[in-house]
Amino acid sequence: MRSARTSLSIVVLLAGLVVAAPLLADAQTPKRGGTLRVSYGNEIANLDFHTAPGYEMMWVAMNIGCGLVNITPDGKFVGDAAESWTSTPDGLLWTFKLRKNVLFHDGTAVDASAVKFSIDRLIDPATKSGMRAFYESVHSVEVLDPQSVQIRLKQPYAFFLHMLAAYRTGLVLYSPTATQKYTLQDRQQGKPGSIVGCGPFKFVEWVKGSHLVMERFDKYFVPGVPHLDRVMIRVIKDPVTEMAAFKNGEIDFIASFSPEHVDTMKAQNPKAVIMTGKETTPMLAAMKVTVPKDGRPMSKERVPHPLFGDVRVRKAIGCYGIDRKEIVKIAFKGQATPWVGMNPPGTLDTVDVNHLCPYDPAKAKALLGEAGYGPSKPLTFELMANTEKSVFNVIATVIKDQLGRLGFVTANIRVVDKVHWMNTTLQDGPWDMYVEDLLSLITLDSNGYLSNSTSTWSHPRHNDPKVDEYYARYARELDAGKRKVIAKELVEYMADKMYWNNISGSPFYMVAQPWVKGYTYNAEFEVHWHTVWLDK
Amino acid sequence: MRVYVLKRLIEIVPTVLMITLVVFVMMRSIPGDPVVALLGDAYTEEDAVRVRQEYGLDRPILVQYVIWLGKLVQGDWGSSILNGRPVLHDVIIRLPVTLELIALSMAVALAIAIPAGIIGAIRRNTWADYTATTIAMIGVSIPEFFLGVLLLLVLSIGLGGALPSSGWVYLPGTCPTIVCAAGLLGNAQHVLMPAIALGVGRAALLTRLLRASMLEVIRTEYVTTARAKGLGERPVVLKHALKNALIPTVTVMGLQVGFLIGGAIVVETLFAMPGLGTFGIDAIIARDYQQVQGFALLTAIAFVVINLIVDLTYTFLDPRIRYTG
Amino acid sequence: MSRPTSDREPRRPIVPRPPIRGGSTREADLPAQVTWGPATAAPSESPFMQGVRRLRKSVTALVGLGVVVLLLVVAMFADVLAPHSPTANDQMSTFQRPSWEHPLGTDQLGRDMLSRIIHGTRISLLVGVSSVLLALFVGVPFGMIAGYYGGRIDTMVMRVMDLILAFPIYLLAIILMVIFTPTAGLIGTMKVTGAIAIVRIPIYARLVRGSVLSIKEKEYVEACRALGVRDPSILFRHVLPNCLAPIIVTTTLGIATSIIVEATLSFLGLGTQPPTPSWGWDLKANVAFIQANAWLALFPGLAIFITVLGFNLFGDGLRDALDPRLK
Repeated sequence: MRSARTSLSIVVLLAGLVVAAPLLADAQTPKRGGTLRVSYGNEIANLDFHTAPGYEMMWVAMNIGCGLVNITPDGKFVGDAAESWTSTPDGLLWTFKLRKNVLFHDGTAVDASAVKFSIDRLIDPATKSGMRAFYESVHSVEVLDPQSVQIRLKQPYAFFLHMLAAYRTGLVLYSPTATQKYTLQDRQQGKPGSIVGCGPFKFVEWVKGSHLVMERFDKYFVPGVPHLDRVMIRVIKDPVTEMAAFKNGEIDFIASFSPEHVDTMKAQNPKAVIMTGKETTPMLAAMKVTVPKDGRPMSKERVPHPLFGDVRVRKAIGCYGIDRKEIVKIAFKGQATPWVGMNPPGTLDTVDVNHLCPYDPAKAKALLGEAGYGPSKPLTFELMANTEKSVFNVIATVIKDQLGRLGFVTANIRVVDKVHWMNTTLQDGPWDMYVEDLLSLITLDSNGYLSNSTSTWSHPRHNDPKVDEYYARYARELDAGKRKVIAKELVEYMADKMYWNNISGSPFYMVAQPWVKGYTYNAEFEVHWHTVWLDK
Repeated sequence: MRVYVLKRLIEIVPTVLMITLVVFVMMRSIPGDPVVALLGDAYTEEDAVRVRQEYGLDRPILVQYVIWLGKLVQGDWGSSILNGRPVLHDVIIRLPVTLELIALSMAVALAIAIPAGIIGAIRRNTWADYTATTIAMIGVSIPEFFLGVLLLLVLSIGLGGALPSSGWVYLPGTCPTIVCAAGLLGNAQHVLMPAIALGVGRAALLTRLLRASMLEVIRTEYVTTARAKGLGERPVVLKHALKNALIPTVTVMGLQVGFLIGGAIVVETLFAMPGLGTFGIDAIIARDYQQVQGFALLTAIAFVVINLIVDLTYTFLDPRIRYTG
Repeated sequence: MSRPTSDREPRRPIVPRPPIRGGSTREADLPAQVTWGPATAAPSESPFMQGVRRLRKSVTALVGLGVVVLLLVVAMFADVLAPHSPTANDQMSTFQRPSWEHPLGTDQLGRDMLSRIIHGTRISLLVGVSSVLLALFVGVPFGMIAGYYGGRIDTMVMRVMDLILAFPIYLLAIILMVIFTPTAGLIGTMKVTGAIAIVRIPIYARLVRGSVLSIKEKEYVEACRALGVRDPSILFRHVLPNCLAPIIVTTTLGIATSIIVEATLSFLGLGTQPPTPSWGWDLKANVAFIQANAWLALFPGLAIFITVLGFNLFGDGLRDALDPRLK
């Protein structure tokens, strides 16, 4: 008997070794513990995930909060709090089945009623959430049972999952208990106890101007993660200081690194891991198309802008008068893609229409001549750039130069700070052209709320209903092939009318120290630190 | 005399009020308001109007000021429009950082000025004198931020991180929050470069003053007599001349602190220090009215009080000067 | 900077006169109430000539003067001296190291750094000098009126001056520039000039007021009044010349401060805006590249430093020459 038992033991042991061997051989076993020191180039606005603007807040929300689904770099959807989902063939009814063990940081369960609460809240105008526009197609949310939630749409929405996963923060679930217990001001300022999510990290504290700290949530529903004990975020606005801090090993991860200094970073830190991909953010030289009829900002009655209301002038300046290649070379040292299409090269259903707008000064002059401009009647306008990124000014300077070569076009550069810029553009103030890189686009649809003629954020304020039609058709078309066709038409139309003057993609970089392992790069859309571990 | 002091103390109040009123009005003269930034993507005209009403931004400026004042006397410094954080709390957290920076900058200035002034006085018109004065003059001619960048380049990057380039480590015991790095050594490392950047420029004036003061004292009969007694020059200088020269120097230092309060803005920005300077400029640019008011209030009080102390010390020293107020 | 010692000079305990409050105290540090009436002049030589003689002997003052004159020449003949245009982009030659073609290299947009620095001299000097002159032309009359007439006018004027002085210099300048909204070109430069001037006005007002106060009671002024000479005449013919020395010194040193303030404002993004070539702006824009292309930031910084040093040396020399008692 003993020999049989011994043999059995040996067999079990061997079997165990066979199973364990691949794991042991894998030297990349994540180490548990440590603090990831992240650096931001800009301050976090506030901590109410549903209403605060800015990437800085969004990346915090993606780690403290959780949603229904996430999207992988190759465009596949993986469940977050939801473990599976189905939709009816007509695309109108979506049912999500939630995992059983998802908890909010305050201990309450993430169940269907929490999902309903969160979505209803986002749709409610009183919440004033910037994501409200994304839920326009949602008719209602129903709780089927504690683990199942059903969302009914008014019309089919091809990008429903994209939206839930990655439009801005994606859907972030709020705990009904915590939301009712604390006020909006409490959440905005990060009062302890008020910031409650269901993500891998829980909020510890935010000292504006100093740091934000989050630490591992032990009851996170994915076992084994996060590896890190803590994540500490600091704001270092000056790129020189940021690079120095990185070189000295004071920070581990730069969340958004200025493209202008990538070469310097590479030279100073040959071992640094610099992550980038196809551009997902557009760099625009937008032109104002209409102005309020009687000078009252935001008036619904519009008249064409005195200069850029004429499509010939728009095309002469924006389409043919600008040498996109030169801009990319000077402003980005060639590390971006000259691009005319409305959505950047890294976006779903992107369309290359560069051939529609080649650099052609002769054609530009001819068009301007048709519109009545020439040496006897020069064209002068104001080109606005804000101080958020120095590259805006660089691009503006190059544009000014290029337009100057036409002989009778003068662009006067005006540099303002971001708040001033927002006030002028959002409130229908006087401007002619500006250089900015707005928000990143994961799909063409995600910029619908920027481009539609009726949207507040449509700075150019074109009032062309055809654009709205295109967007609507695109969003409702469930067949991917047909969508591509619509996308092509829309992008070509925008290029033809120059409602949206794209110059290039705006490259995005993240930089990590060589000992930071396990990070999955997915541009600005999905920034998750729960898989990260420190190899030191 | 006592009446004069009392009078000046009382005068602080209207002065500070005037300053805060001027800042209040100026901030609202800046084109653009924080409501747009607050609403961000969710901006709609109706919401903007509603938010402005909520925060009382649509009332006349003087009314808004009176409201702010009313809350202030009850101890409420208001909260940031943009993120709801209480202003008093944030200001108190940032204050020690800036205070330490200012104090150490003055220490750096003195560390340069005292030896330079002594050398200048003892070895008057020799190469040592010229060198010391020239060094002080150079210090005054470099903009603070440029000096900061040079220090960063040489001491931080150049030495491979011997000194940290940014951030802050608090003095043990002054940590304002739950998670915070504290430690004497870390603190010293973080404050050294900013203090040098800010302090070097102040040294020139102090050097000159010390030198001139000591020269005069050296020539007084008292010192001549002491020397005649055979005490030797150096102990004479160090004990008597220096002590007397320091008094007027201190008064001028008080004035320089006034400059440092503002000069800290630039240095703090460069070295990413969580002090009042970065707080102030961030608030101004973001048009965060409440935060700017808090910053202006604190700065004004500090400034005015320091000036008062300087004036009083001055009067105390030289009874020939009469303030008939 | 030599000065003859003399036992015959009256000995006074050294206590600085009412210091000038506020601001940077880089200049106008010591006495405001400097008097140098007939009592200190040599019988055969006017005070002015005395001052000039002393000035000529001072090495540092002459060096400073030399620098200032050189800068003025560069500023005036910038168009001729600069080898290239300061605003011409050249995408082919960005970030070039110093060479024959570009003695100070090129920047991010391919612009020649030497030309930018030469043209930047114009802007720096323009802002530096005009801001101080503006402060002078506003502050001196106010100071004279306040000191001479005294009473309520004095209190009112000084209240306003104290209010401005009560602000830390950078805070006020920053807020003013944010209100004005920094722009490029001549208008932008004027805005910066105005902002800096406003902050400096009180210094001159107090300076002059102090001088006036000490002269007011002098006998010859009373005699003038008794003779029926009108007030403005008294102010300009008798009072003003006596304040001249400290005004000149303060002005010279004030230019140095103004240049630094302009550079600092540009560093914060609130000063002169591109494409106007400005040392402060170039310094700020190029500091970001300092690790790989250090010269781009160093040269504008050096330019600022040398200019400021020149004015400081000259101003110091002036001060020593015009009022040796400060030594």
